[in-house]
Amino acid sequence: MSEQTRIAGWTVLLALLVLAPLAITSGRWIEFMELTLFVAVLGQGWNILGGFGGQYSFGHALFFGTGAYIQALLQFKLGWSPWATLWFAIAGGVLVGAFVGYLSFRYGLRGSYFALITLAFAEAFHVLSRSLVAVTEGGRGVALDLNLDPDRALTTFQFNFGGDFLKAYGFYYTILVILMLAYAATWWMEHTRFGAQLVAVRENEDAAEALGIDAFRVKLGAICLSAAITAAAGVYYTQKFLFIDPGIAYGPTKSVEALFAPIIGGLGTVLGPLVGALFLHGLGEFAKETIGLVWEDRPGLDLILFGVVLILVLAFLPRGLVGLLDLAWRRLSGAAPAARKGKADA
Amino acid sequence: MSRKSYTIDRRQFVAGAAGTAVIASGLGGFPHIAKAAAPIKIGVISPVTGFLGFSGSQCRFGAVTAIEEINAGGGIKSLGGAKLEALLADAQSKAEIGAAEVEKLNEAGVAAIAGSYSSGISLATTQAAAKYGIPHCVDVGVNDKIVGRGLDNTFRFGPGFGVITKLGVERLIDINNAAGKPTKSVVIVHENTTPFGSYMAGLMRKGLEPAGFEVMEVLPHPTPNKDFKNIALKIKELNPDLVIPSHYYNEGVLFLRTLQRQRVAPKAIYSVLGGASSQYRFLSEFPEAAQYVMDSNHWYNPKNPKALALRKRTEAAGKHYSYEVFLAYTAVRFIADGIERAGSADRGKIIQALASSTWDGHFMPYGPTKIVNGQNMAAQSLNMQIQGKEIEVVAPAEYMTKKAVFPRPA
Repeated sequence: MSEQTRIAGWTVLLALLVLAPLAITSGRWIEFMELTLFVAVLGQGWNILGGFGGQYSFGHALFFGTGAYIQALLQFKLGWSPWATLWFAIAGGVLVGAFVGYLSFRYGLRGSYFALITLAFAEAFHVLSRSLVAVTEGGRGVALDLNLDPDRALTTFQFNFGGDFLKAYGFYYTILVILMLAYAATWWMEHTRFGAQLVAVRENEDAAEALGIDAFRVKLGAICLSAAITAAAGVYYTQKFLFIDPGIAYGPTKSVEALFAPIIGGLGTVLGPLVGALFLHGLGEFAKETIGLVWEDRPGLDLILFGVVLILVLAFLPRGLVGLLDLAWRRLSGAAPAARKGKADA
Repeated sequence: MSRKSYTIDRRQFVAGAAGTAVIASGLGGFPHIAKAAAPIKIGVISPVTGFLGFSGSQCRFGAVTAIEEINAGGGIKSLGGAKLEALLADAQSKAEIGAAEVEKLNEAGVAAIAGSYSSGISLATTQAAAKYGIPHCVDVGVNDKIVGRGLDNTFRFGPGFGVITKLGVERLIDINNAAGKPTKSVVIVHENTTPFGSYMAGLMRKGLEPAGFEVMEVLPHPTPNKDFKNIALKIKELNPDLVIPSHYYNEGVLFLRTLQRQRVAPKAIYSVLGGASSQYRFLSEFPEAAQYVMDSNHWYNPKNPKALALRKRTEAAGKHYSYEVFLAYTAVRFIADGIERAGSADRGKIIQALASSTWDGHFMPYGPTKIVNGQNMAAQSLNMQIQGKEIEVVAPAEYMTKKAVFPRPA
């Protein structure tokens, strides 16, 4: 696929997402899109480190939870404006990323060892958030005060009780802006020397170092960028639901959601996490609705169908859905098979 | 989200059709009477999958049973016998999914919502329902913040943390005093993964120390937790008179069984909102470990025949009669009473009716409801003790079925 075609595709997709509320007036489908974009942001955070960098993390909840907790606690304990706290939340995520990255990469942890260390750090933060009651409120969680005054919806960053537009689309556009920034950063990264070095490290770290690439610095940069994006997703979550507790913040759910979307969509591709999130959520909704029509009141059957399709995708589409779309595009346009650029070329 | 429907076979259809034809022909001059009232949709949100799946399923059973009974009893009379239709939603044990389900229920046109079991999910669903002015009655969630945020759509028929813990402490002091103060030293064991256990531990400590109890140690543990051996051994070493546990069902069972296996035998085990301590499932599966365990928890009026009838129906369905069942059941009944008095399926009118509710047709030990800021101020917990093959109410005296055995026999 040529660069021009890709840019045109991106522009159309972006325009569709920005204009979606004109066509989608249903709160249900806006909520569906919001959750999808939220998972796409989580997925892109993971994709930078796991897809482009080849450093598979099993504990990305670490960055999500840190962003979410800082966003909540600075408001709850110090009464700060949520617009001020969000920068600290993202910076906090980056700091934690730098800390974990420094320790892991400094001592050469790779592959399953790196995956396990991220899992261990997420669990350690889970325990800390439960135990440091004076700081984090422990298992009680942090419930932010609800603003019911529509005039203060913007200043309090609480759109649920704002005017008609904010109430309906405020958080949709919030997560869309985060998504656009995350995807722009990934796009930028892919087209810079840093991105090329990251891919080189993924393909063969020893060979990359032999060529003069500072693998430690490159991986550290990737984990910081990855953490920043994931922490931003945490900021969105806190403002949307106004409640965070250790299980939500550092539990395994967010770590799993973060890695599923890029794996299904296409590892190491800019578009992969968004395609994966759309597919996963779309499939989930489809499974729920169709199972509900055939077998009423059978909770969990939709999850089984969902799991089966997931296994099929993983088994037969090793390059993910983006790889499939790419293949289809080449067949239709009669282009020659592409040289492998990412884990899948898109 | 799925619809609960009631199927009819061919014979029932023919009989029904014939009956309807006869009635319709007789009432030809009064078409407004013959016309069936439109069903009123009630959203039932429960976490029926995920780590809260068991409790969520129990809640769903209770809520659906209430709707079936209301329909069997003639529906909403002030609306011409309109039937209730359950729209079932699964929160998948996640707050964000619970909130997304509210959006679906809103578009499906629900008049009200009952749910969503846990405090974390209920905070999200009540907030999402408030956007559309949907009355939402919380069935189980005990976090006091749920009804303390100024949302006029949010109601809770049962008691919250504050009331349950306060009563739990007061009754423990009464029981201890009445027995000649045999217990003084206390160890509190609580889960610290969710708001529930952590709040409880803090409030218990605050209440017990001024009353002369010595809180030797507070031992937190995560949920899920697969091993209580260390905690049991620590308790054995401290040798307190009283152990106060607070956790979810699985941990509750494991903790009490570990105490039994490690031969840790305090003078009393007194839980507040104990996950297993007043559960028939625990009693039937581990009767020895369950003996004389006391619990201050949600409970029904044991002298009310309606409560006993629901227990019979629940057990006939192969389920245990747990607090989730009767709390979800009464939450739906509370909503139905509001709709009945509102005489309308309009959300705003139902909210007004619920806010001024003085409903006393329930089987909980609350008396007539008195709603203040969405909370039923009349709600209270009861104190139970497992004695033999039954869970007996031991306090307050008004609802007592047996006297407390305190301290428990050595």
